[in-house]
Amino acid sequence: MAVSPFGTRRTRRWIPWLSIAVPSIGWLIFGLYPSLATVFYSFTQYSGEPGTPLNFCGLCNYRAAFTGSYADFYGAFITTIKYVVGVTVLQIVFGLALALLLQHKRRGYGLYRALIFMPQIFSVTVIGVMFSLILDPQTGPAEKAYTALLGGSNSFLGSSTWALPIVILINVWMFTGYTMLVYIAGLRRIPKEVYEASSMDGAGRWRTFWNITWPLLAPATTVNVFLTAMGCVGEYALILVLTDGQYGTKTLGMYMFDEAFGLQPSAGYGAMVAIAMFVVTVVLGGGLLFGLRRREVAL
Amino acid sequence: MIGRPRLRRYVRVGGMQLVCLLISVGFFALPLVYLVLQAFKPFLSFLQDPTGLPHPWTFSNFTTAWTQGNFGTEMLNSVLYSVVPTVLTLILGVFLAFPISRGYFKHSNALYAFFVFSGFLPTGLIPLFIEAQKLGLYNSRLGYLVINSLAGAGFFFFVGYIKTIPREIDEAAAMDGCGYFRFIFTMIIPQMKPALATFGVFGFVAAWNNLILPLVMLSDPGLWPVTRGLFSFFGQYSSQWPVVAAATVIVAIPILIVFIILQRQLVEGVAGGAAGTQGVTQAPATAQAANE
Repeated sequence: MAVSPFGTRRTRRWIPWLSIAVPSIGWLIFGLYPSLATVFYSFTQYSGEPGTPLNFCGLCNYRAAFTGSYADFYGAFITTIKYVVGVTVLQIVFGLALALLLQHKRRGYGLYRALIFMPQIFSVTVIGVMFSLILDPQTGPAEKAYTALLGGSNSFLGSSTWALPIVILINVWMFTGYTMLVYIAGLRRIPKEVYEASSMDGAGRWRTFWNITWPLLAPATTVNVFLTAMGCVGEYALILVLTDGQYGTKTLGMYMFDEAFGLQPSAGYGAMVAIAMFVVTVVLGGGLLFGLRRREVAL
Repeated sequence: MIGRPRLRRYVRVGGMQLVCLLISVGFFALPLVYLVLQAFKPFLSFLQDPTGLPHPWTFSNFTTAWTQGNFGTEMLNSVLYSVVPTVLTLILGVFLAFPISRGYFKHSNALYAFFVFSGFLPTGLIPLFIEAQKLGLYNSRLGYLVINSLAGAGFFFFVGYIKTIPREIDEAAAMDGCGYFRFIFTMIIPQMKPALATFGVFGFVAAWNNLILPLVMLSDPGLWPVTRGLFSFFGQYSSQWPVVAAATVIVAIPILIVFIILQRQLVEGVAGGAAGTQGVTQAPATAQAANE
């Protein structure tokens, strides 16, 4: 342990404490406490509105999730898994494809990369309203294209079949640029000599990709899979704007938001859903990290 | 005459350029262009030909949206809500990171690990809402600023950065009688400009774009930021697409300007942050910032 050299002999000891006091206390009150209090509230039947009783009820919310509200809870869980898997897989595939296409330093490529990166800087409100306009079943261009190409009509975000895939695609559209940039950084760290050696051996493009590029990109893949999956386990802001969680798009996050801040607010039940989300995050995150690290070593 | 191999190369390079252009412009920029076009369309022409080009072009949707949607006030709220918490979080972050980075505490490393680990705890949105009501911070401009300025502990990115600033400066400055706080403001913060700029921009964009927290914490429309305002406006005027499109453009433009000016830093910030050796532990905040 080092001693701070600042101040007089007497003030030296407590100046560093003063330095961390305000940020730590703020974080304790508005960061750590709310996180931990979620556990407490998940054991209550509290509505969240001031003046209403806070009934401690043990595991009642957890019991409800597996009895009375089982269909809703299980549905939200399955939707979350579909959402996470869909977004992660597609974003890895598109992100890598775009990275391979745009990794070089050529004229115009900086602009192309910037354009692909751009969607994620906008608010989910902006992106959500924009796609609602494009996907409007009466006036949107998507409907026109659908009728011209496939015939018939589609209600897109109002369809129980299509709403979830569309929301997944919009999420991918927003964040693929991020995945691409991480992959480009990874691609640029693969030494040129490796490729030269492989072309000397007469390996084709496809074989070079599978035997050299993909394995050497393992660290970038780890980062991308982990961040994408963890980022969308708790996602609901975009869903809220696009479908309000209807038509089979209610993820656990959306479910939590609805329960806690909906028409009949139930902070207790919402907190229980938040804990369920946390469990999914920990299990999934831990599993992914373990699996991806092992894969990195094996490759 | 151009030789055949050279010609082939020209065609290939040109073809690649075309593919990249088509993807980036046609797939990633086109939805935004479409949105902007709709915003310039008179409502009647929208009804007749909803997907076509504006005819004639009009600016009235913007004035209608601006007045009906109360975007003037909301724009000021958004600026306030994004600038103040971002600046305070950065300064508090440096004050927190510096002593931890220098190891002025027993178990500095454990403290650091604890802060990082806490980022993975359950979301505290519901208790935060209850707490805000009890503390009188609910539905208040000041309360919203307090919560946003203090909740963020995005400082651990700074811990590593401060380690690269040589310790000798500390001792030399202290020897010359420079006080702790003056030292941080005049020596450490200027040295951290690149890191502060990157996180400042990401913090600003994330705060500007936030929809959930204003939705939960602010019920009075006069206190709303633009994202919250647009969300309501969209619900109210959902059939009048040109006006809604204009409102959306109004909300998107400040961020678009930030992006155009700082495009390089933003793009490099992401690539640099994620490509760093501690990728997995370093990048979540950036991803989260982008996500929310």
